[in-house]
Amino acid sequence: MSVSPGTKNPRDWKALLTRHEMLLLYVLIAEWLFFYFAGTTTNRRGVVVGFGTLDRQFDILRHSCEIGLLALALTPVIITAGIDLSIGSLLGLCAILFGKLWHDGGLTIPVAAGLTLALGALAGGINASLITALRLPPLIVTLGTYSLFRGLAEAITHGAITYTDFPASFLFVGQERWLGLPTQAWVFLGVALGVGLLVHRTTFGRAFRTIGFSPEGARYAGLPVARRLALVYVLAGLIAAIAAIIYTARLGQAKADAGTGYELFAITAVVLGGTSIFGGTGSVHGTLLGVAAIAVLKNGLACLPVVMRMNAAEEMSGLLTGALLLLALTASVLPKILSRFRTRHHAPAL
Amino acid sequence: MKRYFRELSVLGALAAVLVGMAIFAPAFFSPQPLLSLLTREAPTLVVACGMACVIITRQIDISVGSMFSVCSVCAGLLAARGWPLLLVLPASVALGALLGAVNGLLVAGLRLPSIVVTLATMVTLRQGLNLVRQGEFVNLPDRIQWFGLSQMAGQLVLVGASVVFLVALALAMRHVAAGRFVYAVGTDAEAARLAGIRPQLVTFLVFIFIGALTGLAAMMNLAQSPQVQPLSGAGLELKVIAAVVVGGVAISGGRGNLWGAFTGLLLLACVSPALIHLHIEAYWEKAIQGAIILLAVVADGLRARGLNR
Amino acid sequence: MSPAPLLALRQLVKNYGGVRALRGVDFDLQAGEVHALLGENGAGKSTLIKVITGAHQPNGGTLTLAGQRVANLTPSTARALGIACIYQQPALFPDLTVAENLALRLEATSASSRIDWPARRARAEQWLARLGAEISPEAEVRSLSMPEQQLVEIACALGAGARIVIMDEPTASLTQKEQRLLFAVVRDLRKNGVGVIYISHRLEEIFALADRVTVLRDGQSVGTHAVGDIDEAGLIRLMVGREVAQIYPAAESTPGHRVALSLRAVGCRASGVHNVSFEVRSGEIFGLGGLVGAGRTELARILFGLTPADSGEITLHGQRLTLRSPQAAVAQGIAYVPEDRRRHGVVLELPIAHNLTMAIHRRFFPTTWLRFGAERALALDFIRDLAVKCAGPDAPGGSLSGGNQQKVSLARWLATKPKLLILDEPTQGVDVGAKSEIHKIIRRLAKEGLAVILISSDLPEVIGMSDRIGVMGGGTLRAILPGGSAPHDVMAAALGTTEKGSV
Repeated sequence: MSVSPGTKNPRDWKALLTRHEMLLLYVLIAEWLFFYFAGTTTNRRGVVVGFGTLDRQFDILRHSCEIGLLALALTPVIITAGIDLSIGSLLGLCAILFGKLWHDGGLTIPVAAGLTLALGALAGGINASLITALRLPPLIVTLGTYSLFRGLAEAITHGAITYTDFPASFLFVGQERWLGLPTQAWVFLGVALGVGLLVHRTTFGRAFRTIGFSPEGARYAGLPVARRLALVYVLAGLIAAIAAIIYTARLGQAKADAGTGYELFAITAVVLGGTSIFGGTGSVHGTLLGVAAIAVLKNGLACLPVVMRMNAAEEMSGLLTGALLLLALTASVLPKILSRFRTRHHAPAL
Repeated sequence: MKRYFRELSVLGALAAVLVGMAIFAPAFFSPQPLLSLLTREAPTLVVACGMACVIITRQIDISVGSMFSVCSVCAGLLAARGWPLLLVLPASVALGALLGAVNGLLVAGLRLPSIVVTLATMVTLRQGLNLVRQGEFVNLPDRIQWFGLSQMAGQLVLVGASVVFLVALALAMRHVAAGRFVYAVGTDAEAARLAGIRPQLVTFLVFIFIGALTGLAAMMNLAQSPQVQPLSGAGLELKVIAAVVVGGVAISGGRGNLWGAFTGLLLLACVSPALIHLHIEAYWEKAIQGAIILLAVVADGLRARGLNR
Repeated sequence: MSPAPLLALRQLVKNYGGVRALRGVDFDLQAGEVHALLGENGAGKSTLIKVITGAHQPNGGTLTLAGQRVANLTPSTARALGIACIYQQPALFPDLTVAENLALRLEATSASSRIDWPARRARAEQWLARLGAEISPEAEVRSLSMPEQQLVEIACALGAGARIVIMDEPTASLTQKEQRLLFAVVRDLRKNGVGVIYISHRLEEIFALADRVTVLRDGQSVGTHAVGDIDEAGLIRLMVGREVAQIYPAAESTPGHRVALSLRAVGCRASGVHNVSFEVRSGEIFGLGGLVGAGRTELARILFGLTPADSGEITLHGQRLTLRSPQAAVAQGIAYVPEDRRRHGVVLELPIAHNLTMAIHRRFFPTTWLRFGAERALALDFIRDLAVKCAGPDAPGGSLSGGNQQKVSLARWLATKPKLLILDEPTQGVDVGAKSEIHKIIRRLAKEGLAVILISSDLPEVIGMSDRIGVMGGGTLRAILPGGSAPHDVMAAALGTTEKGSV
């Protein structure tokens, strides 16, 4: 999916973007090949285990769905030059609400799921209304709801209750395969397609970009800036709720600490995928590549014998993801800084 | 009076909470628990002072929790190796300053948004620490706890030190030129540049400052227990940001002061004992904290709208 | 005059990216002189100030201060050398008090020095008193009115003991009383051997106050004269550079009789516009003249729904409108080409094609799906039609020159097929060629029956282009004159009978 067809000028910003994504693709391939060779072994019975197995590949896909969904939710937000730190907490809250609605509320799974999606959108609406109606900075608003949503989840469960014993028909979504792929991957791909079309092929996406580059310019062009911004945050809440349901189905339990720290992985995936934290530029396919790069890293590390001996896959992947985000950020401003130096260098002395 | 309306309203809220406690839960005011509460909050106060400076410069640092953990563990390891307290303290402060310098370099040097930079360093530091230490506790020699004094004396030293520090820094922010530079940069970086202040340098130094203070706070925390928990700083960033924002330091920079941050911290510190005394379950603490942050920002937002009209 | 001037500029050049803002400016300032700097908006005055105050580095030429050539001037060295500037938009710290604002500008303090608040307050009081300003040193700057902020700026410059004081449109937002005070202050400065660079659009002020005047045009200095040696007409000729009649295309048709837009007693307290009434007919170009700060842009913002009116009545083709947002204005067929093209008119990072369809999303993409082919075709049409010089529809708006950006901004609104087109300073900072092209386009649109409101600070432009000229001042409409009126009449109306002679 390209941003727009018919790009001829090689110095075009779109071409540059494509170049960034191509670069990421090469990195991803190299990364995958590295883990394929370093992380695949044959055990004593002569069975191939580790990274190179098909099962493991499906596992990677399965495990990347929730963070992937959150990254998809964040892509339009960051394109409008905003941020949403609350989506990880919202995932936890929605998981709890879903569990409670089903377990204590006596609702059927589909009804509970539907209500959870509505509540997720509503929670996104809280962010949206504070950001647009009161013109508060998204950073501090979502920092507040980051604490609020997680706190509500803990309060509802008294920090201890987890909801389990979900029916097999529901766990199918999170633990089985359908048409050859892990079931939740279909949901993930569906949302990816939806967000991709929204961002790249509709007037909504065009408005997001315009707002990201220049909110004042968008206002002077008669675009409904507040409504578009609100949409972005409500959508993020909705997608976080979808991720919550999938998370619950994968683990078979809903607990208050679900999704803790996921916001960082999601932001990393988005920034890694070439979406500028300053707004305007960015793409959904870039985000998907970013998600893949992080997921392969995380799972690949777990397959490396060294890491397995240390029993430190979680920490290693967290450390590398943080470092990767710093690198990606630095790389994203490097051209600007280099050009600043260059112009300074070439400026004639007075 | 009008200028400090925001700070005074927080003070009013604090007074209301204290009066409420005096009526419904007078046990709250017995000296020993109260001193313990203040001692627990002493390190937080030191970090909150740094955070106030960072937010006044229109930046944010959410890596303080991780920096705190790293400094605690490193300082603990040095102490366990027999380093004297007088060497461990500057080492911890220096390590904090170094970590802060990394943030400062990325934010001021590369002009990256501080929220994303410090989010990344937060996770990098936390996971790095986990990787190296695997959640292991550090046992401290006896002479470290309460600085080798009695518990009572140690607590008084910590509370006294943090209050002295607060007063000194609050006065410095008002009466020393460097403090005013911080305000100037947060109010309008371009105007500051025109007035001959170097905004990027100020930003860089402020990040080093909060790092150093976090190192100091880690030491103050270290002295309170016989062991160092590797996760001791988890959630500190939120607590501190909440205190500062509730205390009237505007997230848009240039406004607010340390007295407000102090009042905000006390108000938030009262939440959890108040919950216990009022028989509300403690699980609500985080939610209430979030709600208070939102309330404070909404109030500021409404007030800003009123001013512009 | 003395041999070593306070300030001398020779062949100063400044480029921003591809835009040549200054292309060779010669200027000198003597001690004890008020030297007026005159030029149309966009002639390069602001850039020149930025170079003199060290905010921007020039790309060529020399800058000499009291006989000493200075390279790499920074804001702090400029200040140390006694250069102070009173900006059009005060560059103050809104969250800090008046006393502190003064102090930050005046005290060359080291970071570790102690602050003496009582002394700061006393000094602020003293300088404010010298200006006759009734402002508390304890007040936060954000709570001050514009003229009050301006006075604080002036107090800063005075307090700095500046040898060179630059005043950029200082009277634009001052009341008469404050103006008179300011003039007294300027004369006082001159007496004390200070050199004042005085920038103003108000010719009367220049004749009353200045010793010499230098005219800038298109980034070049085109002449320096003693005020006694030149009259208003001469100055206008220098500013414009050509005879008025030569550069404006003649009207090819007379406007129809159908009233398109009608305003009755329109006002908005927030933006200071009050009691504005006029009508614009279909096919008419209604010019809005006046000085900077007269309320013209504010009126346009009311009509475009950016700051909604709180009194009066607006009707368009007989239909009464409530314009509470730009979306509502666009839906009613009102188009506004804003003054600040780079911030509001064009999104610099987005391709031309995207910029063009921005205001017609609903109409051009009725299904909300983007149609890239159709969009490109539309962009190509407009590029050809308005002769936009660009690499193609995919070229980002920022890659275009000012004039071509303006055409894109205009094309965006033509694409909405508006009933009323408001142009705010459409030729500001645009080169001569593009300027006349834009004029031809405006004429053509009027001929096609569009009602046009043309806001311009360029006096000859308003006079040469408009069928009728509404002259604004102090937030209201002062007079309506026929097109082709004498510049002096328009200027007189803009100054208003009450303000006339107050200088």
